Amino acid sequence: MLQKPIREEKRAFMTGNEVVAWAAMAAGADIMYGYPITPQNEIMHYWTRLAPKYQKKFLQTEDELSAGFTTIGGVMAGRKAFTATAGPGNILMQEPMSMAEMMRLPAVVVVQQRGGPSTATVIYSQQEVTLTATGGNGEGMRVVYSTAGHQDLFDYTIKAFNTAWKYRFPTFVLGDGYQAKMRESLTVYDPAARGVELAEPEPLVGREGVPGKDRPPSQYRNTFNLEEELYEKVIGDAREYEKIAPEIAEYQSYGIEDAHLAVVAHGVVFRAVREAVEKLTAQGLKVGYFRPVTLRPLPVTQIRDLAARVQKMLVVESAYGQLARLLKEAASGTPAEIVTYLKPGIGVTAGEVETKIRELV
Amino acid sequence: MSRIVEVYTGEYAAGKSENALNRALEIARCGRKVTLVDLDIVEPAYTLRPIQDELRRMGVGVIAWRTEDTAGLGEAGTTLHPAARWALRREGDVILDLGYGTEGIRTLNLVVGANTNPRLKVYNVVNTCRPLTAGVRDVVEQVRAMGRSDGLINNTHLGPETTVSVVQDGARKVAAAAKILGLRVTATAVAKSIDGTIGRSDCMGNPVRELRLMMHKAFW
Repeated sequence: MLQKPIREEKRAFMTGNEVVAWAAMAAGADIMYGYPITPQNEIMHYWTRLAPKYQKKFLQTEDELSAGFTTIGGVMAGRKAFTATAGPGNILMQEPMSMAEMMRLPAVVVVQQRGGPSTATVIYSQQEVTLTATGGNGEGMRVVYSTAGHQDLFDYTIKAFNTAWKYRFPTFVLGDGYQAKMRESLTVYDPAARGVELAEPEPLVGREGVPGKDRPPSQYRNTFNLEEELYEKVIGDAREYEKIAPEIAEYQSYGIEDAHLAVVAHGVVFRAVREAVEKLTAQGLKVGYFRPVTLRPLPVTQIRDLAARVQKMLVVESAYGQLARLLKEAASGTPAEIVTYLKPGIGVTAGEVETKIRELV
Repeated sequence: MSRIVEVYTGEYAAGKSENALNRALEIARCGRKVTLVDLDIVEPAYTLRPIQDELRRMGVGVIAWRTEDTAGLGEAGTTLHPAARWALRREGDVILDLGYGTEGIRTLNLVVGANTNPRLKVYNVVNTCRPLTAGVRDVVEQVRAMGRSDGLINNTHLGPETTVSVVQDGARKVAAAAKILGLRVTATAVAKSIDGTIGRSDCMGNPVRELRLMMHKAFW
């Protein structure tokens, strides 16, 4: 019998892209489909280095459209398939993932954000939030986990497979070039040893028996002739998505119970916010932080509670208001004032956040 | 002491640059003329580029691109610096910092005289806390795949969490791998900032080199 990729729980020192490759192995992924783009390339590199040892597969496609559609094909054939991309590749990925939304197929896409618009820069940015959370020509029914470091990349890549296969919506792990290249330690583990049951994929087409007689027919459509039929389909999915959203939504908060100001950030920027807020609360400032871990669905109830409690919310992001836009929608009608600190495509330091907080409180 | 010509190579994120620049600083502290050469054309994200002026102020000559010289080239901007090609013709000691893996070591072919220089030594930097080089057999396979190696450097660490036992555990594995490979363990590299002290040699009797960590400043 083949050995498991990770047999014992231990601390390891890695780059973010390697973490994703190992996590996909640990999650029992069978195959990766991909097309190279910085800064996600080493996910492919490490997956292809590990794949022969653990009898996994890899297909390099001619572009991200193909990478997305072959991922879907793998899923329909009963494989735990995933892909990874960034920037312009993520734009192309929206077409296949829209199809996955429509057909209610599980698929995992790891996005290591780069600067934008277009080709732009390769390392630092949070400018793929709008695209990843609401891209495609549908209603954005997908799950997006935004990671803030290597432990998150490991934990949420594993979780993304389970979420995708459980709820049958495409699931994204949203990192960025900085996390992809950054080096830090984390605990790697075999999910089973921690009691995490991994989703078991099964073929969606070509199954045994006569459709309609021995089993329900497998019907996976992305084309509808009648508007009413489409309406029924979309409303049905929307209702289901709204029902499961509170189960999926995750967040992390600190000091918000008696804060006058809550700093809201996600992903790598959250690390700067955490450092600044912890320092200032130790000095007695009434400030807290709120980090949505899922950007889609957002933890709406908790955001509204927060917005009802604090006077101001400061949104900090390496984008020009992409998180702020999502937050404003979630907090709509609540009294808190929303202010922003926006640095599209460049990093935010704890010192800058600290200065901004001091201006506001 | 004769001329020192050393090449630092190894796995992705093994600590090649940190070890190369610390070696150059050590040589410079002895009052010797030394040039540190950034030969990493594999990975554009972590290079000596952003800290080159600081290194020069510390007495090390540096051959590395300046970001403004490569602006506009985007991801294709990682070409060999012309001065790097002729680095071995320089007076004094030369420390070459390669890109990672087998692609990285191939870059050495672009440096005039590298394949014929009798003093040139290739050191393979190993961190056994990295999953692909976690076991003795993994290290042996990795070093063999690289082609040439004249010695191993145990650079086992867990970043700020590094303890003496983490380093010593690495020292045992690297020594075991070196024995199989018929190579010497040139040194165990230990950051000044680690919790505890190891002394002048590790548990396998190999010399300890103290690292002053600078690469965290080098991520653009």
